Amino acid sequence: MAKTVLIVDDSESIREVVNFTLQNEGYEVLVGIDGEDALKFLDGRTIDIVITDLHMPNLDGLGLIRKIREMDAYKHIPILFLTTESQTAKKMEAKQAGATGWIIKPFVPAKLLSAISRVLR
Amino acid sequence: MIDKFKAKFVEEAQDNVRDLEEALLLLEEDLGNRDIIERIFRAMHSLKGGGAMFGFNDLSDFTHHLETIFDLIRNDKLKADQDIISLTFNSIDHIKFILETGNLESEEDKKEQANLIKEISKYTSETHPPQTETVKEDGVPDVVQDRSKTYLITLMPDAEILKNGTNLLFLLDDLHALGEAVTVSNYDKVPVLQELDPVKNYCSWQVILNTKEPLNEIKDVFIFVEDECEIEIAEISEGNVLSHPKLKELVEEAVTQEKVLKKEDLLNIDFDGQKEAKAAASKKKNIFKDHKISSIRVASNKIDDLVNLVSEMVTIQAQLTLYAENSGDPAIVALSENIQKLSRQLRDNAFEISLIPIQNELMRFQRLVRDLSKEMNKEIDFIIEGGEIELDKNIIENLTDPLLHILRNSVDHGIEMPDERIKAGKSPKGTIVFKAFYSGANVIIKIQDDGKGIDPDVIRQKAIERGLISKDIDLSKKEILDLVFLSGFTTRTEVSDISGRGVGMDVVKRKINSIRGEVSIESEIGQGTILTLEIPLTLSIIDGLLVTVAENQYVIPISNIEKIYSIEDVKISSSFNNIATIEDQQYSFLNLREIFEEEDISIDDSQLILVKYEDKKVGVIVDNVIGEYQTVVKPLGRFLKKLENISGASIMGDGTISLVIDTNRLIYYNDIQKYKNVK
Repeated sequence: MAKTVLIVDDSESIREVVNFTLQNEGYEVLVGIDGEDALKFLDGRTIDIVITDLHMPNLDGLGLIRKIREMDAYKHIPILFLTTESQTAKKMEAKQAGATGWIIKPFVPAKLLSAISRVLR
Repeated sequence: MIDKFKAKFVEEAQDNVRDLEEALLLLEEDLGNRDIIERIFRAMHSLKGGGAMFGFNDLSDFTHHLETIFDLIRNDKLKADQDIISLTFNSIDHIKFILETGNLESEEDKKEQANLIKEISKYTSETHPPQTETVKEDGVPDVVQDRSKTYLITLMPDAEILKNGTNLLFLLDDLHALGEAVTVSNYDKVPVLQELDPVKNYCSWQVILNTKEPLNEIKDVFIFVEDECEIEIAEISEGNVLSHPKLKELVEEAVTQEKVLKKEDLLNIDFDGQKEAKAAASKKKNIFKDHKISSIRVASNKIDDLVNLVSEMVTIQAQLTLYAENSGDPAIVALSENIQKLSRQLRDNAFEISLIPIQNELMRFQRLVRDLSKEMNKEIDFIIEGGEIELDKNIIENLTDPLLHILRNSVDHGIEMPDERIKAGKSPKGTIVFKAFYSGANVIIKIQDDGKGIDPDVIRQKAIERGLISKDIDLSKKEILDLVFLSGFTTRTEVSDISGRGVGMDVVKRKINSIRGEVSIESEIGQGTILTLEIPLTLSIIDGLLVTVAENQYVIPISNIEKIYSIEDVKISSSFNNIATIEDQQYSFLNLREIFEEEDISIDDSQLILVKYEDKKVGVIVDNVIGEYQTVVKPLGRFLKKLENISGASIMGDGTISLVIDTNRLIYYNDIQKYKNVK
């Protein structure tokens, strides 16, 4: 069974690269353009991991992570967030919201995949 | 990274820049507006992040400085004023320049960037110096150490750690992957079952690891969890000491007595005597981690070539099969069967390679709907289902324009303005659903809007005005709706610049037909319109059923075939109306001898092939079914292109040509003919 990844980012090019990389690796990919948009996928279907940007319109990454952690079906799935800030404050905030790990932008596909493999197998 | 994405990024970056300019203009009016500042910051942030990812390092670097200003404003450490706005406008011009030219080459340009950065840092350096972010390359391991070390790693995760989706066992796996390791688990904090909370962690672990990897690699394993765990990594010895008897003893003791290993105990072991021998014996693994390449990118014309070659090969293979059968030489028959098997696999493979998910195009559609609806002040939800469906890339290429046109129509003509919608008792927000799914060897794409629908009376009226139908003709609703596919038909009197580009639904239909697809339309006034496209998965090669009619051979695509009956099992209930009863079901049928105007149209000794047609099944009578036949469909060329019943031709093994029957058009066309005759 292919694992399903939900990616959420308001940048189309980032979405495309991530999507392309993941599909090439054989993941099923769902794509949300912001936190609000991503919620429509969280309808109880199996989602193995969420990868989300933090800065997004409508519902930002932190808000999305908190919402996901409130849902019974997704309480314990791994959530990675994309960040350019290497500042610890943002990271701590996201972790507090319930994120599992992070990926620092810019990243090469191998780095994305290795980050995923840290939390999902 | 990949050029395709780079181009996309530039496109998107230009949007970001536009957004930035727009927001700046707004900010000029309202200097303290937090939403606008946030919007500016976000746009810059995207430029910075994307720039670095797609190799626009100058852009990323530059935007970083600019972003810092707005980060300060955002955090109330700096107030936005006219000077900052002007500086930002200048900077935006510079960003535009970088986007056009790529990275800065000339000294002059670099100087300009340096000047701007200097001005920017006037604002930023007062508070804190701009940090330059270094692009970290993927961990290239330091010089491989020729000697391994043994560490004691103690991992004590917090009780709550499982709540953010961490799987602790992965950490242990990762440690084991670094070298040779022994793990001691400590369960002594696990409570009795009644008190156990399954989402809490009660365990801790100790790993004695021998690895050649640098210490950083070990620390890296814990990068996501270091804040939620107590982690201690201690070097206990050079070389591999895992099999040292004293160490084994201590581990044994820890396991059986549920004790924690003490660093001091391990450090006190005298490993020296063992070291050299062990180090030599330690396996030479992990020096060169295997580097697998899981996918490669290939120019698409190479794939076209491959598919073409495979098609040719399938044709030749058919010749070989025929020759082998005729020769009667068992050796060559066996060979040809093997070749047949291989070429079938090769064909499937080549076919699969040329498939790409429609997802890739969907971004454009999403964008179109968003932009158009904004432009027209309509509110539209665009819902996509089945983006993972894959189609031949040639088909996708041919599909994009018609789909864009259909979507444009839906936004322009379908969805009403919000106030109209409210008046009609609908939600002010319209919905367009794009749904793709497999159906046999076809893909069905439905585009459904909940707009005002199409009024058949209006269509009818227009068709009469345009002389497309006569006034007194009696048409069903479906037939009236189908009129929109006729050339020269546009319902809007004035041409809007959105969907009225001189391209009508007739072009959509023609394009879809050209890739052997079908398009149909359903609509309900006030409820909306559904356009359904049925597209074959691939163009060039099909699985067909070879049949004969009179002297000639024809191919019917297997994907359309439901069942084959011998004529003895079929009761012809009405030879006048061509109705047959099969297994207590009534079907209308077509006699191909009759359609192809053969002299003798009797159907004794014939076979009836039940084919799918829209939601019905229709019988097609042929003389003989020869068998399954994998065939390469070649276009018929300019002069024969207009044949209604035939979609192409195929070269048989013996060099003869068999025509490929398009059952959909065959039935559609003959239905119309009959209909006309009756009238």
